[in-house]
Order: sequence, then C-alpha cells, then structure tokens
Amino acid sequence: MYTITIKNNHFQLSCSGVAFWEEQQTLLIADVHLGKISHFRKHGSAVPHLAIQKNFDRLNESVEQFQPEKVIFLGDLFHSVLNAEWNLFEHWLQQQKAEVILIAGNHDIISPIHYEDLGMKIHQELLIDKFRLTHHPEEQEGSFNICGHIHPGYHLVGLAKQHLKLKCFFRSENQLILPAFGEFTGCFVMKPEKQDEVYVCANAKVIQVN
Amino acid sequence: MNKKELLAIADHWFSNQGWKPFPFQKKTWNDYLKGKNGLLNAPTGSGKTYALWVPIVLEYLKKNPDYKTKHEKGLKAIWITPLRALSVEIAQAATRFAEETQSGLTVGIRTGDTSQKERAAQKKSMPDLLITTPESLHLLLSSKNYPKMFKNLNAIVADEWHELLGSKRGVQTELALSRLKTVSDNLKIWGISATIGNLPQAQEVLLGAESKALQNSTLIKANIQKQIEVKSIIPQSMEKFPWRGHLGLHLLDEVVPIINNSKTTLIFTNTRSQCELWFQKLMNKYPEFAGEVAMHHGSINKETRLWVEQAIRNESLKAVICTSSLDLGVDFAPVETIIQIGGPKGVARFLQRAGRSGHQPGKASRIYFLPTHAIELIEASALQKAVEKKAVEDRIPYLQSFDVLVQYLTTLAVSDGFYPKEIYPEIKSTFCFQDLTEDEWRWCLNFITKGSQSLQSYDEYKKVEIEEDGKFKVNHRGVAMRHRLQIGTIVSDAMLTVKYIKGGFIGAIEEYFVSKLTPGDVFTFAGRNLELSRIKGMQVLVRKSKKKTAKVPSWMGGRMAFSAQMSELLREELYEAAESVGSNSKKRSPEMEALQPILERQQLESIIPKQDQFLIETFKTREGYHEIFYPFEGRFVHEALGSLLAYRISLLSPISFSIAFNDYGFELLSDQEIDMQQVLDNNLFSSEFLMDDLYKSLNATEMARRKFRDIAVIAGLVFTGYPNKLVKNKHLQSSSQLLFDVFRDYEDDNLLFQQAFRETFEHQLEEGRLRQALERIHTQEIIWKACQKPTPFSFPIITDRLREKLSSEKLEDRIQRMLKQLEK
Repeated sequence: MYTITIKNNHFQLSCSGVAFWEEQQTLLIADVHLGKISHFRKHGSAVPHLAIQKNFDRLNESVEQFQPEKVIFLGDLFHSVLNAEWNLFEHWLQQQKAEVILIAGNHDIISPIHYEDLGMKIHQELLIDKFRLTHHPEEQEGSFNICGHIHPGYHLVGLAKQHLKLKCFFRSENQLILPAFGEFTGCFVMKPEKQDEVYVCANAKVIQVN
Repeated sequence: MNKKELLAIADHWFSNQGWKPFPFQKKTWNDYLKGKNGLLNAPTGSGKTYALWVPIVLEYLKKNPDYKTKHEKGLKAIWITPLRALSVEIAQAATRFAEETQSGLTVGIRTGDTSQKERAAQKKSMPDLLITTPESLHLLLSSKNYPKMFKNLNAIVADEWHELLGSKRGVQTELALSRLKTVSDNLKIWGISATIGNLPQAQEVLLGAESKALQNSTLIKANIQKQIEVKSIIPQSMEKFPWRGHLGLHLLDEVVPIINNSKTTLIFTNTRSQCELWFQKLMNKYPEFAGEVAMHHGSINKETRLWVEQAIRNESLKAVICTSSLDLGVDFAPVETIIQIGGPKGVARFLQRAGRSGHQPGKASRIYFLPTHAIELIEASALQKAVEKKAVEDRIPYLQSFDVLVQYLTTLAVSDGFYPKEIYPEIKSTFCFQDLTEDEWRWCLNFITKGSQSLQSYDEYKKVEIEEDGKFKVNHRGVAMRHRLQIGTIVSDAMLTVKYIKGGFIGAIEEYFVSKLTPGDVFTFAGRNLELSRIKGMQVLVRKSKKKTAKVPSWMGGRMAFSAQMSELLREELYEAAESVGSNSKKRSPEMEALQPILERQQLESIIPKQDQFLIETFKTREGYHEIFYPFEGRFVHEALGSLLAYRISLLSPISFSIAFNDYGFELLSDQEIDMQQVLDNNLFSSEFLMDDLYKSLNATEMARRKFRDIAVIAGLVFTGYPNKLVKNKHLQSSSQLLFDVFRDYEDDNLLFQQAFRETFEHQLEEGRLRQALERIHTQEIIWKACQKPTPFSFPIITDRLREKLSSEKLEDRIQRMLKQLEK
C-alpha cells in the first residue's frame, strides 16, 4: 500500500491496481474488462474457463480490504456485448453492501438499461469535490482528473541489460491514471516527464519509481 | 499402349528438345509407371520437374488411348510447392510437355495469389494438374464435397520436401495426404528433396510410418556430381577489421572485382535489412553499377521480383543482392558466381546456394564466403572442410503437433463434417501422430467441441458441434469463415503495403517496423529512401526523399544454429589454432593465417582452449559483470546451457541474469558479481537432474512462451484478423502472451500448453546434443580466466542484442535494487 495526497485528499494505492479514496470512503477501479474470456470462447477461442472467476475473486479481495461505502468503476467494466459473465456479475453485485457506480467507457456497449435493472447508476463523468472522474483522460481547469482507459505501464531499465514492464499508477500535475484492474489485459508503456509520478504494482508492494 | 511405347514418347520429346534424359529421370519414370511411391533426391535445376511430370502424363495416355480426341475431365495430379513464386516455373515446364505431346492435359495454379474469379472457375472445372501450397490444399479440404474433387487423383508430388519437412507445413502435408489416401482410389505419392542428412526418414515422413505406401516405395538419388569451389574473402589487413557485427560492409570493396570478373553474381545476405543496406552502400560508392545491380527479397513486390528474375535469365544484370528468396527453384543459367555474406548457418544451405551457380555442364559452382567479423574467419575455414565432407544437417520432423491437428480437424468439420472413428486411423498412420493415444485423441475432440475437457453450465463456447448421428460439424457461418482465414502454420507479423501517395505499389513491410515511425521519418526500402507521409488502413503512404540518412527496417531473420558436425569441425579448427598460435606453421589455411593477430591477442589476454580445456572468462565493464563460457557447440545448445547454468546459479542466491549466446559460446550478464569458484565447486555443469532443471529454467525464461505464441495462432486460440482490416498485431502478441499466463495458472495440463515445452526441448534445445556437450565438458579441464577487459572471442557474444533473461529475485527487491543503481 502506498498513500498519496492530492489536494488534501488521501488515496491509498493498492498493488491490485485499485485506489481507495479515504475522505470519500470510495473504492476506484478502472478497466476490469469483464466478459473478455467469455467473448473469446463464444468466438471459438478456448481460453481456460476457470480464469473467469479470478476477476471476481480479486474484486472481492479489494472490497473486503477497504470496506468502502462506494465502488466506482472508471469505465470498461465489460469488454463486449452481453454474455454469460453478466450473470456472474449480477450475482457479485447482489452481494455488495456498497453503492456501485459505473462511469461509462468505450468498451461499455451494454445498454444502460441492463445496469439500471440491477440498481446501478451510470454516468458519463462524475464531479466529486474538486475531482473529476472520467473514463478517458480529460483535463479541465479547476478540477483534478482521475481516469482509466490507458492501461498505463512502466518500463524500468537497469544495469546489465535488465528491464521490466510493470502496471502502474501514473500521476501528472492534474491527473491520476489508474492501471487496468482486469486479468488478461495488456498495458501501454508511458514515458513520464520529470515532474510526473509513477507508482508500479510489484506483487505485494506499490513502489514509486519516478 | 505398353510401357515401352509410352517411354518412347518421352524419349522422343526429350530428343526434340536436344536433351538426353538422365538415368535418375528414367528410373523415376519406370518406378512411377510400376505404381510405386517414392522420394527423389535431386538438386534444383537438374530436371527434377520432368522426372515426375513425364510419367504422370504417360499414365494418363495409357489409361486414355484416344486422348488426342477425347479429354477426360477432373483433377489427376497435385504438385505441392513451398513457395508461391516457384509455381509459375513449374506450370510452364508442365504445360510445355503436356502440349507438345498433345496429351490435352491442362495445368492450373492455386495459391494465395490466385484471384477469387479464377478459384471459382477452378471449383467448377478443376485443371488436370494443380500446382498449390500446403495451405491452399487444406483450404480445398475445407470446401463442401471435396472427396468428389479428389476421387480420380493419381499422383501427389511434394516438391522441395526438405523445406517442408522440418516445419509444421510438413505436418500439414502429412495430414492432407492421410485424407487423400482414403478418398483417392489410385494414388501415388512422391517427394522431391535436396540432399539432407536424413533422407530415409524424409521418405518415411512423407509416406507414413509403417504404411503400405512406404512398403511399396523407392528412394532415387540423382547423384549429380558437382564440383564446388569455396573461397573466403580475406581482409587485406586485420587491424581495421571489426571484432563483431553482422553486416560485412567493411569488405564492400573486395566484392567489386568479383562482380566485374563474372557474368552474373548472386550475393546472398542473411536478412532483408542487410540486403537493403548492402544495396544502398554499393550503389552509393559505385554509382556506375546503376541499372546493372538489383535487389531481391521477400518483401519487394511481386512484379519487381519477377522482373529481376527475368533480367537474370537474359543476362542483363551483373549482380543481384538477395536473401533466401532466391534459394529455391528457378534455374538461372547465366549465374557464374555466388557470394555468401556472413555465416550461412548450415552446410546444406551453403551447398544449395553454391549450386545456384555454374549450371553449364562440366562447370564448377563457385562460392565466396565473406566474413562479417574476425571470428567468422574460423567459421569460413571450417565451412571449407564441411563442404569437402558434405557434412549436411538433418531436418528434424515435428512430432505430436496438436496445434496442427486441431486446426485440421476443424477444417474437416467446416467442409463435410467427419466421424472420429473414420479419421482416427488415418491420423495414426501419419509419421507425426503415430504415437497418438486414444486419450490424446479424445482430448483434441473435446477441445474443438467444448473448448476444454468438461462442459460448464453457463459456457457459450462455440466451434465444432456434434450432430445426432455423431458427425463433427461446424454449422456457424462466422466460425467457418474465421477458420478458413486462419488455415496455415506460418505465423508472421502483420504486413502493410507500401505505396506512393500518387500511386504505385512498392512492397510489403512488417507492421512492427512501421509502428516505430512517425510521419516525416525517412526509411530505406526496396533500395529507395522514402519519407513516411501517413498510414491509412493497411497502407503505408510514402513519398521519395532526398535525405541521405535513413532508418533501415529490421526484419527478424530466422536464426539457424550450427549442426553437430559443423560445431565439431569448428572445434577442430580452433584446437589446431591453439596448438600453432604464435608459431610459423605452414599448414594453416589462409583464413587462419589472416586471423593470427587476433588469435595472438586472445592468447595474451586469455587463452585459446585446447581439446581438453573448457574456457570460462570473467570481466567487468560499465554494463555489469560478464561471465563467458565457450563450449563451441552451436547456438541452440548454448541457449539451453545458458539457461540451465543461470537457473542453477540463481538457486545459490537471488540474482538476475541477461543471457546471450552465439555459435561459439554464451554469456551470463548480471549486475552482481558471481562467485565463479562456488559455481565450479558446486559442479553446476553436472548432467544430473538435467531434464528437471531444464524444465524449470524454461519456466523462468521466455523460450516456451515464444513457442506458445505460434501454437496459439495455429490452434485458433488467437484470431489474427480479417484481410485488409487492421488488427494491431501488438494485440495478437500481447494477447498470446497473456494467454500463456492464463494457461499456466489455470490449465497447465492443456496439451497445447505442454506442446510449447516439448517443442522447445525437441527443436530448440536438442536434448541429446546437450547431454553429449555436458559429458564432454565433464572430461575437460575447466580454465577460468579473470580478464581485465573483453577478449576477442567474447566480443561477438557480449554485443548480441537478442537475449534471454532469468531472475530468482523477488520482484519487489529487484525493482528497489534497480532503482538504487540508477541513483548512483
């Protein structure tokens, strides 16, 4: 765990890729891409079925750990159209004590009606305090942007031709980009400027590298 | 017509051409007409096409005595070729004989280049002889009512079988043959192969292990004795000759007189980027060659390639700089001389290239070897001896390739559907799947129907369905279409076409390279400097640029490894050098003589190992701590040994390694110093627990992961996209990377996942040779030299950029240590 302070608010960055906003008791999760494996299977690609459960297990672990009042998904919650994984999600949602909200992303093509049927709220963006929560990175004056979409990663280069590619939280002056939470998602290597802050997810730790 | 009369037709035609049939041609005609199957061992340009096409035509004449007035329709023979480019030549030769004997037989081509219209026409009425590739043949098996199409097939010829044999396209061919043996009534199977080490095995793979076809077969050797002259291009002075590198441009000037003294010269490079660079530099420095020197490689557009090939034939070119694109097929009579730049990494390939020259009877083939760095002079010397001894490599056939099998089963399900009990014995009769168990067979069937081994209640997996009567069938149109697009076993990068903005196609280029360019960047392609304007869909739009400096596309050349024989010859060269260095020996080859200054330097800073010595060098540079080991066993063995040793050392204490390897040795590079005495004391070169340790080291490195990438694509786990629709190939890469992890974590008993490891052992690591190498090292005295700086021997290894990595550190600790070093 690694706590950072933004505009006097405290965010705990977890190695699982989620961020917990203490002041709002809110868990922020980006790019879960549920349904991706089912999508593959439906199209004849035999990705192991057992892997589907992993995303839900990890979601449960994070909720268990932070006991949030709200869970906000920063877009791309579902990878594709409705498939069998929706039922698993419905089941997961029924277990939640916290309020669950979705900021819609580019992959979220499932009709909002389905979410609303489950009692979930959907927003294009959400302004809480001085923080603007979106899926795509969007900087606007007067607010700090928290978003997903990019799947940020960091390329760490060391002596003796060593290098590592790691998922990361990427903070610039007015923006925090969360890593993709989903299993079975790739990442995009960022090139940080000097003033940017980069926190990589390394097994059980979050480590600042830039 | 009796046999004598038939053969008279062939003899008559030959004498009309002013030719005399070779004994091997006559023998092939005879054996074919006796109804035999077989393998013909004959080099390119020897008349091998007529050896088989003639009896196929004669058989038809025999069966249809009134052939001159009545043509019996339908497919009679299939000619499988590995290269589309070869199909035109074969078609021309075949048509000539078919027409001039008035047989009435028609010849057609069906490859990836064939237009939709022509394909449709062929479906309606097949030509008598179809020239095709393994992929297109499987596509025919995926069409409805295919058995009818093949019913009257008399012959299949697998041309350049040595090329197919050692690849999964060979497996594809085996599977297609297993089906055609059943659906065609009177089939004869023939292969044509260049000389390889394991010809009898090649014959067995083609015809099926313990099959009836094999029992009724013959192996015919052309035995055309060809004299080959090998010469090395030796630098005038070693002082300026580099210790590393792979381009060879230092010797550019030495090539010019060779070009000038010969009618036509083919200059073979190992990669396409090297080919581009050589062309560019030669033209810059010797502009007088403009119009007389051309370039030929697989990414250049077809028209240009055909033009170059034609220009070679009519002697309007002095030289062509090329890649393996000119290895096979077509006969270029005017070619007098070959230059090979850099190690050919295979005696068979070197001989094949040499054979492209000196086609006139009685003329010798002449090949020059141009070393790209100093140590390659040792290779040059060893190569000479290898050519003398004809020490050619084996081509190792694939076994139990489940990826190809599930693709094939889906292909059959897409066309007419199949019943497992009919297909199983056919599969078992192939060489590749002779040991297939019923459990494995059931696994494959489950895989294509359920997507795993057990059915989950809410699963929507969709591919092959089992119909009520037990037929396995694909009924979903989308699944069928995607499958047809994916048939094949060559997994390559996505290719984009390069075009001028004003129009004009230049060639095809890997998406990987283009993705690194931004508009305005200048790159060299097809011998021109081009400025990238923009990328539109699958097209790269460019304009001409006058800039002198440009990026050169890097194409991944296949890295071949030395065979056991070649490695042994190399070691012998070296042992001789070790004995005679510093003395005035007169027995030395010119190559070794030239190398003396460097050998002396090696001796001074370290040693040149003798027969009973095993050399380890350690030194420190700004990069970190280098440990170099010299088994001289060839690249693949070094890759295995490097991983094995890195793994074993990493058990002693947490450490991270970057591993590099070439044909001479391997390097372990780390940011921590390792205690070499401890490595020696712990006997880490032991062959005990070899397999177990190797398996674990494979898990820790990327080798199996890379193999899995191809397997995932072939087995249809990853869809590579619709034609002309850009699916970022990065997605394919990363998603098959991710797939590997998912399988490892959730389904590690999956046969496709395990295949990645097995292939690594069988085709990459060559377990048997590894064991022998360890045993040899065991008998040697280990000499550990702590050096001050990199030695001449170490240079080519430590500068190699293609590396493997292995770490036993906890990720968190490793990151923190890397960060600390950066702060320093």
